[in-house]
Order: sequence, then C-alpha cells, then structure tokens
Amino acid sequence: MNYPDKFDVIVVGGGHAGTEAALAAARVGANTLLLSHNIETLGQMSCNPAIGGIGKGHLVKEIDALGGVMGRAADAAGIHIRTLNARKGAAVRATRAQADRALYKAFVRRALESQPQLTLFQQAVADLTIEGEQVTGVTTETGISFSAATVVLTAGTFLAGKIHVGQANTSAGRAGDPSSTQLAERLREMPFRVERLKTGTPPRIDGRSIDYSNLESQPGDEPRPVFSFLGTRDDHPRQVCCHITHTNEHTHDIIRNALDRSPLFSGEIEGIGPRYCPSIEDKVVRFADRTSHQIFIEPEGLDTPEIYPNGISTSLPFDVQLNYVRSITGFEKAHITRPGYAIEYDFFDPRDLHASLETKAIRGLYFAGQINGTTGYEEAAAQGLIAGLNAARQTKDREPWSPRRDEAYIGVLIDDLITRGTNEPYRMFTSRAEYRLLLREDNADMRLTPHGRELGLVNDVRWQAFETKQLAASTLESALQDYWVKPGDELFAKLTADNGLALNRQRRFSELLKMPEVKLARLLELAENEVSADKQDYSNLSGFSEAVIEQVEIRAKYAGYLGRQQEDIDRSRRQQEINLPESFDYSRVIGLSNEVRQKLLDTRPDNIGQAARIPGMTPAAISLLLVHLKQRNQLAAPAIDEAATAS
Amino acid sequence: MATSDTIAAIATPNGSGGVGVIRVSGPACKSIAQSICKVLQSAAPASSCTGQLTALPQRSATLTDFLGSPAEVIDTGIVLFFSTPNSYTGEDVLELQAHGGRVVMDMLLQRVLSLGARMARPGEFTERAYLNGKLDLSQAEAVSDLINSGSAAAARAAVKSLQGEFSQRVHALTEELTNLRIYMEAALDFPEEEIDFLASEEMHQRATSLRRNFAKLLETTRQGQLLRDGLTVVIAGKPNAGKSSLLNRLTGEATAIVTDIKGTTRDLLRERIQLDGLPVQLIDTAGLRASQDPVEQEGIRRAILAIREADRVLWIEDINQFDIEDDTARIPSGLLAGIESQVSEVFRLCDLLINESASMVESRAPDKERMGEAKAETLVVDLVLNKTDLGSHDAGLFSLDERLPLDTGGFLRFERCIKLSAITGEGIGLLQTHLKQQAGYDDASEDVFIARRRHIVALESAAKSLEQGFSQLENQYSPELAAEDFRLAQQALGEITGEVSSDDLLGLIFAGFCIGK
Ligand SMILES: Cc1cc2nc3c(=O)[nH]c(=O)nc-3n(C[C@H](O)[C@H](O)[C@H](O)COP(=O)(O)OP(=O)(O)OC[C@H]3O[C@@H](n4cnc5c(N)ncnc54)[C@H](O)[C@@H]3O)c2cc1C
Ligand SMILES: Nc1nc2c(ncn2[C@@H]2O[C@H](COP(=O)(O)OP(=O)(O)OP(=O)(O)O)[C@@H](O)[C@H]2O)c(=O)[nH]1
Ligand SMILES: [Mg+2]
Repeated sequence: MNYPDKFDVIVVGGGHAGTEAALAAARVGANTLLLSHNIETLGQMSCNPAIGGIGKGHLVKEIDALGGVMGRAADAAGIHIRTLNARKGAAVRATRAQADRALYKAFVRRALESQPQLTLFQQAVADLTIEGEQVTGVTTETGISFSAATVVLTAGTFLAGKIHVGQANTSAGRAGDPSSTQLAERLREMPFRVERLKTGTPPRIDGRSIDYSNLESQPGDEPRPVFSFLGTRDDHPRQVCCHITHTNEHTHDIIRNALDRSPLFSGEIEGIGPRYCPSIEDKVVRFADRTSHQIFIEPEGLDTPEIYPNGISTSLPFDVQLNYVRSITGFEKAHITRPGYAIEYDFFDPRDLHASLETKAIRGLYFAGQINGTTGYEEAAAQGLIAGLNAARQTKDREPWSPRRDEAYIGVLIDDLITRGTNEPYRMFTSRAEYRLLLREDNADMRLTPHGRELGLVNDVRWQAFETKQLAASTLESALQDYWVKPGDELFAKLTADNGLALNRQRRFSELLKMPEVKLARLLELAENEVSADKQDYSNLSGFSEAVIEQVEIRAKYAGYLGRQQEDIDRSRRQQEINLPESFDYSRVIGLSNEVRQKLLDTRPDNIGQAARIPGMTPAAISLLLVHLKQRNQLAAPAIDEAATAS
Repeated sequence: MATSDTIAAIATPNGSGGVGVIRVSGPACKSIAQSICKVLQSAAPASSCTGQLTALPQRSATLTDFLGSPAEVIDTGIVLFFSTPNSYTGEDVLELQAHGGRVVMDMLLQRVLSLGARMARPGEFTERAYLNGKLDLSQAEAVSDLINSGSAAAARAAVKSLQGEFSQRVHALTEELTNLRIYMEAALDFPEEEIDFLASEEMHQRATSLRRNFAKLLETTRQGQLLRDGLTVVIAGKPNAGKSSLLNRLTGEATAIVTDIKGTTRDLLRERIQLDGLPVQLIDTAGLRASQDPVEQEGIRRAILAIREADRVLWIEDINQFDIEDDTARIPSGLLAGIESQVSEVFRLCDLLINESASMVESRAPDKERMGEAKAETLVVDLVLNKTDLGSHDAGLFSLDERLPLDTGGFLRFERCIKLSAITGEGIGLLQTHLKQQAGYDDASEDVFIARRRHIVALESAAKSLEQGFSQLENQYSPELAAEDFRLAQQALGEITGEVSSDDLLGLIFAGFCIGK
C-alpha cells in the first residue's frame, strides 16, 4: 500500500545515527518519520554501554551543543563517570560514562516520543524509491510505501550483516536482530562503492559468578563530570564501581592453541576490523611478547548482573571462549551469558558523499553512521545529527550546513571521511584534529551553540543558558583586566605564600592568570573579602560558576597557541571555500599528472579545501585547479549575465 | 581573489650582472619595507601611527640601506613599492634591488622571510597575477605550464639538494621526531593503557637525542656549509684533455697536478669558487679510459659516480684532435655521438656500481632509489674544446642545443660549446659567464640553491617549534601544548621529507604498541 501521509524526511534506522537524525530533522521543523526494525531497540547500544572517551567525549559535547540527545541521555544513564586525561591540559580532557543500557534506551525513547513533528513506525525497509536521480521514498519488507522529499539511511551494522562465532556464521544485524539483506542487495545495484568491514564484541558474564576479592577496583570520579551543558550532577543515577583484571600466560596459551579455529585467521572473515580495538586473539598473535593484557570489568546496568569484560572481544568458538575466560583471575567460575562474536557488514565509501552527508549520486538521499565506515555511537550520532539537519534543510531549499575542521570534531570526522575515505572502521582520536587546542569539550557550546541557534536546532532554554554563561565569562574576563594586585596588598603577600611566586611588582589579575602556577579558582578564593591598599575591593570577582571560571582560565592559559591556530585558519580560509562545481572536468586541467587526476576523480571534492586535503595532493596541483577555475568562471561569467538579464 | 599570505623570492633574471632583485607580494609588504628600509625608519616621526609609509613613494625608486637588524646593514640598494591593485600581481608588491652577490641576496631573503613572508613556489607570482585578473584569460595555458615546469624543476632541485649526508641526516631526524610524536600522541589518545608513555624512560631518551641531533644539524646549516655547495660542476673527459689545467685556471691556483702523462689525476678534487657571489663547486676527475692499473680504475669509478650526481658536466676535448674550422660553429658529425656513447657507457657502469654497493649495504637503499630517480633525468653537458692556443683557433661560445637519447635511458643535452685555452686563459671569461647564468635563477625554475634555502627555512622553523615543545615538556607538563609544537615541527620538516599525516601516526602507534580494549 501507499501510506497516505507524505513526509519531509524519512530516517531509516533507530540506532544512534538514526535517532539523532530524526530528532534534528524534527527540531528544525521537518515532518519526519523514523522507520526502524523494532521500536523496542531504539537507541540500543550494540556493544559496550559506554559513552564518551578521548575524542568521543568531545563529539558528545558537540552534539549536545547543537541540541542533540546523546549528552543528556548519558547523564541520565551514567553509572560510572570519569574525566580521562584529567591531569593533562583542557584540550585532551574527555568525559566518559559507563551507562545503564536500559536507562539510556529509555531516555532516548522518551525524547523521540515527546518530539513534535516526529512519527515512529516499526518496519524493516526493503527498498528505496528513486526517480531519475532523486530519492522519493522507501518501501518496507511488507510492502508499505512511504514517500518523502529526503531519506536518511542509518542501517548500522545491519546491511548484509554476518555474525561469526568460530567456524559457524549466521546472517544477523547484531546478536538477536535480523540483518537487512534485501536492502543491502538493492543498495549494491546503486552507484555507490561498497566494501566490507568487521567489528567484534566480547562474551558477557554474569557478575554474580565473578570473584571480585582479588581484583583492583576503579571508582568513578568525585566530583562527577557532567556531559550536557544543561545537565547537573543531580541527573545522575546511583553510581557503581568498575574493576580491573588481567589475562595471563595460560589464557594466551589457550588462545594460541585454538587459532586454527578462529575465523579471523582461517580467512573466513574478509572485512577489516578496527586496529585500535583488536580482538584478544589478534593481540596475542601480534604482541606475542606481552604476558598479560588488561581487562576492564564494566557493569551493563544497575538492574542487571551482566557485566562487559572490556578487552577480550573475540570470534573464537564458544568452548574456547569459556576456557580462556575461566583462566582469568576472578573469572574462575564465570558464567558466560552471551557469547562474543564478530560481525561483518557492508559500508559505503564515504568519498561518495558531500559534506552535508548527501550522496553525490542520488539527490535527497543521505547516509549516516556505521554505514559510512565509522564505528562508535558518538561518531554515528554526530553524523546522524548533520544528515538529519541537512535533509530537513533541503526540503526547505536551504543551503546545507556542516561544521568546518576548525569548528568541531564533527567537522574533522566528516571531512576525513569524505576526503580520505577509510579502509578500517574509523574512530575519532584527538590526534586527528589539527586544531586540537581549539576543539575542546569545555568550549563546544561556544563553538557550536550559536550556529545551532541560527539553524533552529537549539531551543530557548539552551540558548538562554548559553547567553548567561557567555555574559558571565566576559564579565569575569574584563574584571580580571581591571583589577591589580600591588606590593603592600595583603593579597600580594598571600599569593606569594600560596604559590611561591616571585611577584616583584604590581600585576593585573589577567597577567597573574597567564602564569602556569596560578589557578583562577584559587586566585578568586584568595581575593574574596580582600581589600587592596588603595581600597579596591574584589567583590565583583565572586559568584562565578565552575564552568565559567574554567572557561576563562583555559582561554588565558592557551592564549598564545590559540592565537596562532586562529591565524592559520584565517590565512587559508578564503581559498579553501572556493567551490569546485560538480561538472568540473579534470581532464581539461592543463598539467595535472595522471596520478593526481585519478585521486581527484576518486574523491570529486566539493571545494578547494577538500581537494587540498586529499592525501598526495600537491600545492602545484591546487594552483593548476585555481588557474583553470578562474579561466572557466571568466568564460562562464557572460553566460550567467545573459541568463540574469533574460529572466 | 585576495590571499592573506605574503610571498617572496629572489627574482633576478638569468645572467643579469651585479644586481639582484627580491620580489615580495602580499599584505605584509608595507610592514616588511618598514622594517628593512632604513630611509623609512629615519623618516618616520615616532608619533604618527599611519604616516610612516607615506615616505615610501609608489612606483619610484628610493635609495636605502637594507637592514638585517636595526644596527646591521646588509647592503645598500633601491626599494620600489607598488600598491594594490596597480602592481604585477594585483597585490601590494615590494621590490628590493641590491648589489651584493648571491650570498647577500640570500641574507636579504632570509630577512624578508623572518618578517612574515614565506618563500614563493615556482610561478606563484604569475599565478597570483592571473588569479587577480592581471593577465589575460588566454594566458591560462601559459600560466599552467609555468606552474608545472616550475614545480617539476623544483622537485628535481630538491632531490639534488637532498643528496648525500644532508639528506640522511634530515631523514634520520624526521624519523626521530615521528617516533617521539608517537609517544606523545599515544599518551594523549590512550591514557587508559598500562604504559605511561610520557614518563617512560624511552621517550625521554628519544627527546634528548632528537634535541641534540637537531642542534647539530642546525649548527652545520648555520655555518652555511649547505648553501656553500651551490651548483656542482664536474669536469670530465679523456686523459690529457686538460681537465686539471681548467680547474686550476678557474680557481686561479695550481690546485691540481698537471703533467703531460695520461692518467695524472686519480682522486676527485673538489674546489669551491664564487662567480659574482654564486657558489660553484668544481670537481676535477680522472680521465676516462680503459685501464688495467687498479689505482686508476678506482679513480675512474669515482669519476663515474661524480658525473652521475653532477648538476652539469663540462666535457673537455682537445680541439686539435678534430677537424674544426675556426670561423664556423659547426661541430664535426660524430663528435657529439661519440661523447654520447661514452656517457652511456658511464651510466651503464654507474648503475652497475650502484647496484653492487646497494646489495652490499641494505640500509642505503633509499639512496639507491633516489639515484634511480635521477636516472630518467637529463644530463646537461657543455662541450669545452680546449687548447685553442695550439692551433689557429679563436676562443668562442655557441649553442648546441642538441638532445641525444642515452642508451641507458634519459637524455644527454648538449647546451653550449666553448672554445678556450686553459693555459692562456683565452675564452675563460665566456665559460665563467655561462656558468654564472646557469647558477642564476628566476621565478619559474628552481635551482639547488633555492631548494637548499627552502630546506633551511623548513629546518629552522622546525627547530623553533621543537625548542618550544621541549620547554613546554620541561616547565609545565602540558603535553598537549608540547604535542602541538611537535606537530608544527613535523609539518615544517614535512616540506622536505613529505607529510606525516595523523593517520600515519595512528598507524605507527597501533603497529608499535598493543593498544585497545
Ligand atoms: C558486535 C558489535 C561490536 C561493536 N564493537 C564496537 C566497539 O568495540 N567499539 C565501538 O566504538 N563501537 C562498536 N560497535 C559499534 C557501535 O555499536 C556502532 O558504531 C553504532 O551503534 C553505530 O550506530 P548506527 O546508528 O550507525 O547503527 P546501529 O546502532 O547499528 O543502528 C542501526 C539501526 O538501523 C536499524 N535498521 C537496520 N536496517 C534497517 C532496515 N532495513 N529497516 C529499518 N531499520 C533498519 C536497526 O534496527 C538499528 O536500529 C560494535 C557494534 C557491534 C554490532
Ligand atoms: N697548449 C696547451 N696545453 C694544455 C692546455 N691545457 C692543458 N694542456 C696540457 O695538456 C697536458 C695535460 O693536461 P692536464 O690538465 O693534466 O690534463 P688532464 O685532462 O687533467 O689529464 P689526466 O688527469 O691525466 O686525465 C699538460 O701537459 C698540460 O700542460 C691548453 O689549453 N693549451
Ligand atoms: Mg688531471
């Protein structure tokens, strides 16, 4: 049947990409339909229920700054929350939470159900309807056709998904869910480059069968970090403790002796897995000299005894899994509740996408999440948000928006994907960001919330909170400029005593802040209730929130570096944004080498900046493109003028 | 299209005698002029905030001292300023004309670079002119050709500049830096691993060693050794043709032993000379012939390798061996072909030698590759017909412009024929002028000298970032700031040795450490 209502945006898939996509599209006012296999699995975490981590925490804050759900869901579900890299500088600090799987899912479901303009429907999609080079809707496996101006596909690991446990393999989207076979076949007929990737997961263990008495425990941080810019510690549920154990020589022997039954080494698995997330068999083989590997024992939730043993993902046969698990300290009597497995699935070469995440070949069709070659909830959610936003904007004839590399990790993620492609599951790391010092968790709101407001993604509550924080930060900054501490002041003596500073002359507060030894919070604390010799009291310096103090402090400490990064950005910006038209004919650019030309054809960049970032591109090649473009535009200019006068 | 960076280059056309020109284009021109030109400084009343540059007249020559620092005068010359859009490139353009030779020009260029300009790529001034609508549309093709041939020449010059020890040291440093960055980045991106990368003894050893080696290399470059090499010219030919005599004539000293015995010269003899400030390295070689004498054989082997690495070769023949009429420029047929077959033979032998030594020493494989690259290249040869004094020959110079394919691949290009006498000195001036032109350079075609300057600029900028990185590590334990400095250092070195992307780094981390859960 043809479903009677017409939608602006259809989102296929209710994972992390799909839910953010649907929410973003609906938030900016598009009439949106979310189609997924199963309403019960909306927002499901396929693997470890943990959100954030280095690079990923950054993504979560950015999603949150744009009004997304992930940060708030992680606050509502976080049962063990830490700041990683806490002793290093602000740019590399990252929030990570172990989440209660059920609480997380429930929060996302509630967000979806309470979002105006959003309709949920449980059905597996079998086909896309395409007219000419434009998508017009989807058809489900039971034959219902939905029509819409745009479609966002977020099918995760489900496309032609194949699960391996030892030599046995079955078709599935993840354990317990069917794979999307029909849809995968249809997509293979379309003009996209398709490849296979693989990922894996460890066996789950019943926590009641674990002996914790000899295990190192790892509590969460106190005070607890918070993900959402709107969140508070009160949002957090009860907190629990994680533990750490290790594999040993015996574990490794068991694994080594079973390698002939591993689909990874027998050639059964063709897809490439993530290098930073190797299976335990991979680690044992590649780092044969290591006698032990660490395992984090992470609870799956408050109401379940299941735990996730982080560090032993595997596709070995079940009997081997049981054997090696029981060889590990604390796991001697472990009961495995679910076997570990590896999964292979289709993904599409992301170089076939624009930065908006619209496919280059089919208008109105957007791809987001794992199907673009990424891995991870945060990576998926980030893409979902952008794809949903742009799908909605397209229905209103608005220009697409995607953050630049210097604005957000989301920009780095998308730009890396579309200019470099990937041949392994892509995960975010801070080292991928050349503007790492600029792209911090703490300032994600300053980088993105104003954009989000303009795009319609950010509601009044968030906007007001943002403006208040901004105002406070600039008030504090100017107050620090205005105040002095002078020899003879009591504060002067206190500071000298406190930090061992050799303050030999009077200083502005803002100067003090630049010194590595001086911490702003402490400075403000010392200044409270002080009055200087010339009767200035420092009362304007009190009452600022932690977030504001942190913000002002980081900006001061990083000032020199940030200035340089900003100069770098400004210098190349204009040139980077020069568009390369879709019809650009590379064979007509004089002087391009065949190798460079082929690279450009493989990627078909949308602008000069993207072209320059294709690996192996040379400055001379970029010059040649610019010269050609100039000639082309000048030749074309009269034609445009004519068209303008004719209409 | 406005660009926001400022470019600079030595823009002296080939062969122009004592005057050199540095051209600068972009928004920083005014401030650069302000800092370099003494006239502008003394003219500027301290109080006026915008008025200083009114002292710099547009499009008219002003005589000034060029300052390296407020106290140091590099040279005296003429400054010209063209303001946007009425300039060649359409941007603000500054031209500094100085009298000094190449070394002085280089100092001036360095000064301009230190004031915020970067070195222009070949053809970049013309590219900007075109992009800013200063050239006519139909010139697109010519501009593209210029960019292309320029970058090809630059690539070749870069390969030459990177030969030998310099290259090995830069590559070794790049590798050390990469290894250090692996530790830094692993520490930042993988804090949950069991190793504390930053505290590891190994990382500190690496840092110390990198710092020391970098300082050493920089010391060498600062002493100017790398720049002093300049153009490498190899004097080759049959025994007794007068190679050593020519070397002596060009250096003005009796450096090489000259006798009428064939096979006098055995070892390579390297001499540096300056032609109007242009550094040229001359290499005298053993005469090429079949010989049974093991010492002479070794000499010939060295000669062959030297020819292979030359920027150009002066091939010497005794003019009296041929039937050459004095009043025509005609070269007897067969003479060039004869040389071609000898050079082919040299190349063949050379490849043999390289393969031999490469199979003996595995670790020198990169050099072999580089030499392999050089193979497809053109060897440029000037034919010197010596001993004009013995017959009734006049000195002279004429173009040959003959390209002969070499049996072993690549081309032999004969550029000029110079008739001279090494003994009387007649015709030597012609040779010198010619060499000077070859060592000269222009906007579009890079030579080794410019390539070296680029490399040194890159090294110095890397060194600056590194030092800052080390002090970050020491003083504050802000590893992310140190990591940023090291990234910038690597970016600068990348101009020499190729980019190391973040993906490459991650790859090395995963290959080297057992990471991941
Ligand atoms: C076994 C396994 C191990 C993993 N290990 C890791 C890991 O170690 N580290 C890590 O960072 N990440 C890991 N992940 C990845 C992480 O789960 C994904 O990156 C993330 O969930 C991707 O989000 P997504 O929205 O793109 O897709 P998914 O979360 O997979 O969601 C896909 C959604 O699409 C729906 N769907 C699919 N096809 C159709 C259809 N035809 N019609 C309707 N609905 C459809 C599904 O029902 C599902 O709701 C693992 C995943 C799996 C399965
Ligand atoms: N008359 C005359 N004699 C010359 C001239 N150049 C070289 N000779 C003589 O030729 C002889 C060989 O000169 P060298 O300079 O040693 O020749 P070479 O090419 O270095 O010889 P080998 O080192 O043996 O390969 C010497 O006797 C020189 O004096 C010249 O221009 N005129
Ligand atoms: Mg000799």
